[in-house]
Amino acid sequence: MQLAVNILVLAAIYALIACGYVLVYRVSRVMNLAHGELMMLGPYLLLVTAAQFQSHWLLAIAAAVSLSLLTGVLVYVLLMRKMTGEMVLAAVLTTLALGILLRGVMVLVWSAQQQYPASALSVVNFAMALPGGARISLISALLVLTTALVYGGLFAFLRCSRWGIRMRAAGQNPLLAAQRGINLHAVYALAWGLSTLTAALAGILIALDSGLDQTMAIIGLKAFPAALVGGLDSLVGALLGSLIVAAAEVLLIHYVDPLLSEVVPFLVLIAMLVVRPWGLFGTREELDRV
Amino acid sequence: MSRRPRASGYFRTGYGQDLSLVETRTERWSLAGLLIVLLAFPLLASPFLLDLANQVLLASIGAIALMLLTGYAGQISLGHAGLLAAGAFTAGILYKELNAPFWVTLPAAAVVGALLGLVFGLPSLRLRGLYLAVSTLALHFVVVYCGGEYEAKRGFSTGIMIDAPTLGAWTIAGGRTWYFVLGVAAVATLYVCVNLLRSGTGRAWAALRANETVAGALGIGVAAHKLLAFVISSALTAAAGALFAYYRGFVSVEVFSLFLSIQYVAMIIIGGIGSMLGAILGAVFVTLFPYGIEAGLRALTGTQRYAGMLFAVNYAAFGAVMILVLVLEPLGLVGIWRRIQTYFLLWPFKHRPMARPHR
Amino acid sequence: MKARTWPALATAAMVMPLSAMAQDAYVIGLTGAMTGPPASTYAPAVDALRIYIDRVNAGGGINGKKVSLILQDDSAQPGKAAANAKQLITQDNVILMLNASLSSTYAPVAAEAKQANVPLLFASSVCPQSVYPPADPLQFCTTAFAANYDSRATLAFIKETAKQPVKIGFSAMAIPLSRAEMDFAEQQAPAHGMTVVGKEVIPPPTPDYTPFATKLKDAGANWVFSWAPWVTQVRTLEALRRLDWHGDYIAWSHIEAEGELARLKDGQFYVVGANALFQDHLPIHAEIEEAAKKAGVQYPPQQMAEGWIAGMVIEAALKAAGWPATPQQLALAMSNLKVDTKGLRGGPIEWTKDNHFRTRQYYRIYRWDPAKGAIISVKDWYVYDVK
Repeated sequence: MQLAVNILVLAAIYALIACGYVLVYRVSRVMNLAHGELMMLGPYLLLVTAAQFQSHWLLAIAAAVSLSLLTGVLVYVLLMRKMTGEMVLAAVLTTLALGILLRGVMVLVWSAQQQYPASALSVVNFAMALPGGARISLISALLVLTTALVYGGLFAFLRCSRWGIRMRAAGQNPLLAAQRGINLHAVYALAWGLSTLTAALAGILIALDSGLDQTMAIIGLKAFPAALVGGLDSLVGALLGSLIVAAAEVLLIHYVDPLLSEVVPFLVLIAMLVVRPWGLFGTREELDRV
Repeated sequence: MSRRPRASGYFRTGYGQDLSLVETRTERWSLAGLLIVLLAFPLLASPFLLDLANQVLLASIGAIALMLLTGYAGQISLGHAGLLAAGAFTAGILYKELNAPFWVTLPAAAVVGALLGLVFGLPSLRLRGLYLAVSTLALHFVVVYCGGEYEAKRGFSTGIMIDAPTLGAWTIAGGRTWYFVLGVAAVATLYVCVNLLRSGTGRAWAALRANETVAGALGIGVAAHKLLAFVISSALTAAAGALFAYYRGFVSVEVFSLFLSIQYVAMIIIGGIGSMLGAILGAVFVTLFPYGIEAGLRALTGTQRYAGMLFAVNYAAFGAVMILVLVLEPLGLVGIWRRIQTYFLLWPFKHRPMARPHR
Repeated sequence: MKARTWPALATAAMVMPLSAMAQDAYVIGLTGAMTGPPASTYAPAVDALRIYIDRVNAGGGINGKKVSLILQDDSAQPGKAAANAKQLITQDNVILMLNASLSSTYAPVAAEAKQANVPLLFASSVCPQSVYPPADPLQFCTTAFAANYDSRATLAFIKETAKQPVKIGFSAMAIPLSRAEMDFAEQQAPAHGMTVVGKEVIPPPTPDYTPFATKLKDAGANWVFSWAPWVTQVRTLEALRRLDWHGDYIAWSHIEAEGELARLKDGQFYVVGANALFQDHLPIHAEIEEAAKKAGVQYPPQQMAEGWIAGMVIEAALKAAGWPATPQQLALAMSNLKVDTKGLRGGPIEWTKDNHFRTRQYYRIYRWDPAKGAIISVKDWYVYDVK
C-alpha cells in the first residue's frame, strides 16, 4: 500500500513538472531545458514573498506564483521571442544558456546554502494515516491534489476557453493560426507563463516538503523522460508517462537496486524512442525540424 | 570548397592544387608564423599558463570531434561528457587491472568509444534532432553509472590514480612535454577531420545535414554514414578522454558532469557551427573564460572576500555570453572573425559586388 | 650575503617571472569548494580560517611575520582544483597547500603538491587514507570525520545504548566515499551482535526520499545509521518519521548539525561528532562568536569550529617551523606537532612522523532533549587510539 502511495506522490511530482515541458513544446516546438531552473526560482521567490507577507502563507505562495507567471512571460518577451524563426536547435540551446544564467544568479542572490521555506512560512508538515496502513505527508497530499487540479484546469482551459483554443491552433499550424488573426506572440508568451507557473508550483511544494538547495534544478531534468515517454505534445501522455517512470523507479528501488533508479528512466526513454519516438500519446510528426 | 574570404579570385592552374590545404603564399607565411608562436610558447610561459594551454588543447580535440558530428553531419549529441568518461575509464581500468601501457590503453579507449558510438548512434537511424539529443543524454547517465560502480566496488573512492605514461624509455611528464604531446594530438585530429570532410564521406555528411531524404535519393547510404559519423567522433572523443586521464593522473566520475557536455556544445556554438576554426576558437574561449572572469573580478575588487561569489558570477556570465552569441551572432566567433577579414579585404568599400565572379 | 643572493634571485626571476620575489610573509594557499553544489559544507570552514588568519595578522603575525592566505575556488571540480594547485604552487610559491573540497579533488591536488614537495593539509574535507599511519610524509589532516573510526565509534555507541536487539539499517549517498563507509559499517555490525536489515544508497538529486525510507522501515530496522552529506542524512530521517517510524537514528555531526537539531526537535536523533557543539559554551566558543560578529560573516558561528581548528594547527605549525620556512622545514615541523584545541575537540591534535591524522580521535554524541528544549550531550568523549 505504501508503495502505491509512493508511486502516486512521485508520479505527481513528475507530472506537475512535465506539464510545463508539454505546454511550451506544444505551441512552439521548443524543448525548454531551463525548466528545472525556472522551477527552482519559484521557491526562492517564495522566500522573498514570505518575508514580505509574514504570516499569510497563502498570500505569500500566491504572490510567488504570480511572480513566476510574470517571469515566464518575460522570458518569452525578452528572450525567446528573438529566437523565433531561428533553428530550433538554437532556441533549445538558448534555453540551456538561460538555465545556466539563472542558476548563477540564484546562487549570487540567495547563496548556495540549504534553505527551508517551510519554516519561513511556519508551515508544519505532518503525516497522515491512510487506509491500508500507508502514510502520506500533508505537503505530499497537497502536491497530488495540486497536480490533479492543474491538469483538470489545463484540460478545461485548452478545451473550452478562447485562449486555450487559440493555443491549440497555434500549436497545430502556426501559419494558418496567424492568418486567422491569432496573436502568436501572445499565445507563446501565455504558454511560457503557464509553464513557469506550474513549474513554480512544483518547486514550491517540493521545497516545502524537503527543503531547497542547488540540486533542485536536476530534479527538473529527471521529469524530462516522463514527458518524452508520454509524448512531448500531449498532456495525457505526460500524466501517463510520469506514472510509468515513477512506478519503474519506485519498484526498482524497492525490489532491485536503488542505484539503478537514476539510470532506468533514461533506459525506459531509449526503449520508447526506438519503438515509438513520438511517445505514447504524442502526435506523429515529421521529426526533422532541426 | 573554400568559404574563406579572398581579396581577389584565386585561380588554380593544376589539379594538384585542388588538393592542397595551404594555397597562397600569405597563408603559408601566416601558418609558419603561427607554428613558431606555438612552438615558442612553452619556452616562455609559466607553468600555470602552460597548464591552461594544455587544457585548451585537450578541449580542442573534444570540440573538433563534436563539431564533426554536430556541425558537419548534423547529429546532435549531449553525451559528449559520457564519451570522454568512457575513454578515461577505459584507460584507468586497463591501467589498474592489467597494468597496460600507454600505447595499449589509448587505442583501447578509442575502440571502446567507437563501440559506444555505434550503439548509441543506432537511435539516430530512427530519431532526428532533439529526440536524438535526448537519447544521447542516456549514454551519459549509463557511462557515469558504470564508472561510479567500478570506483565504488574496487574501493577507489577518491578516484583512480594513473602514473605518468611511458613510451619505451620516454616518460611523458611535466607541462612542457604534455604541451607537445597534446599539441601533436590536436593537430593530428584536426588534420584527419579536415581531410575526412573533403572526402566523399564528408560530402555525404554535408548532404545528410542539409536534407536526409534528398541525400538518400542521391544514393548516399544514410544509415551507414550516420553511424560512421558517430563512430569516428566517439572514437576521437574517447581518445581525448584517455589523454585527459593521463594528463591529470587520475580518473573520477565527478569530472564528467552533464555540465561538461553543455560546455562542449557551448564551444561549438560560440565558436561557430560548421567550422573547424570555430571549434578551436570555441574551445579556447570556453576554457579560458572562467579564468578571465576570475582575473577580472580580482583586478576589479582586489580582495579575497569576493572569492565566494566567483563561481556564481562565472556561471551567470557563461550563460549570458552564450545567450548573447545565440541571439546576436548566430555564426559565432568565426562569424566575427570572417566579418573582420571581409571588412579589411573590401576596404574602402562596405559590400561585396552584387555579381560575384564565378569560381 | 648580497653576492650569494644575486644568482639565486636571478634564477628565481627567470623561472618564475610572475611570482612575487621578496616575500615578507608566510604564503599559504587553499583550494576549496567555496561555491558549487556542496559548498555549504566547505565555505563556512574556509571563512572561519580566513577570519582566524586575519586575527593572527592583526595580533602581530607569527614569528613577527604576517601570514598571507590565498584562497582559490574550485567549485568541487577536480579539473579546476588541479589548475588552482598548480597556480598556487608555481606562481604564488606557497609553503603549504590546503584542500577544503570534495574527495574527487584530492588526487590532482596531491599530485601537484607531491611534485613540488609542498605539504598538503586537508582542512574540513574528509581525511584520506594516506594520512593514517603509515602516513604520506607530505599529507596532513585536521578534519573531524574519519573513515572507519567514525563507524566503529557509532556502532559501539549503538551497542551500548540499545535496550533491545539491534536491527540496523544504513543510508548512504551514491558517492564513493559514503558508500565505502556504509559498506564498512555493514561488515562490522554483526561483530557487535547487530542484524543488518538494509542498506540504501541514495542518488544525490532525489525529489522524494520516501521510497528509500519505506524500504528501511519495512525491513524492520529499529536503528538507522547514516554517514553521508547532511542532505541525505537528514532527509532520510524526515522521510522515515513521516512514515511513522519510531526507531533511533544516528548520523554524523556535520557543521550544520547544531542548527538542524534545533530545527527538527527529534528526541531520538543522535549526532556523533568530534567537535564540541556551541551549546557547551566554552570560552573558545565565545571567542569564535565574537570574531565572527566582528568580521560580519554570513554563516552562523556554530559552523565555524572546523575552520578555527585548522587555523590553530596552521598557526602552531608555522610557529614551530620558524622564519624563513621552506616547505620542507614546515613539513618537518608538522610531523612532530601537538596542538591544544582548547576544548573544541576532546583532546589535542597530535601528529607524529608516521601519523598525520592524530594519535587519538575523540568522539562525543549529542541529541535534542524535548523535555529540556535543548541539545544535550548523551555520551562524553570516547577515545580511540589511532594506530
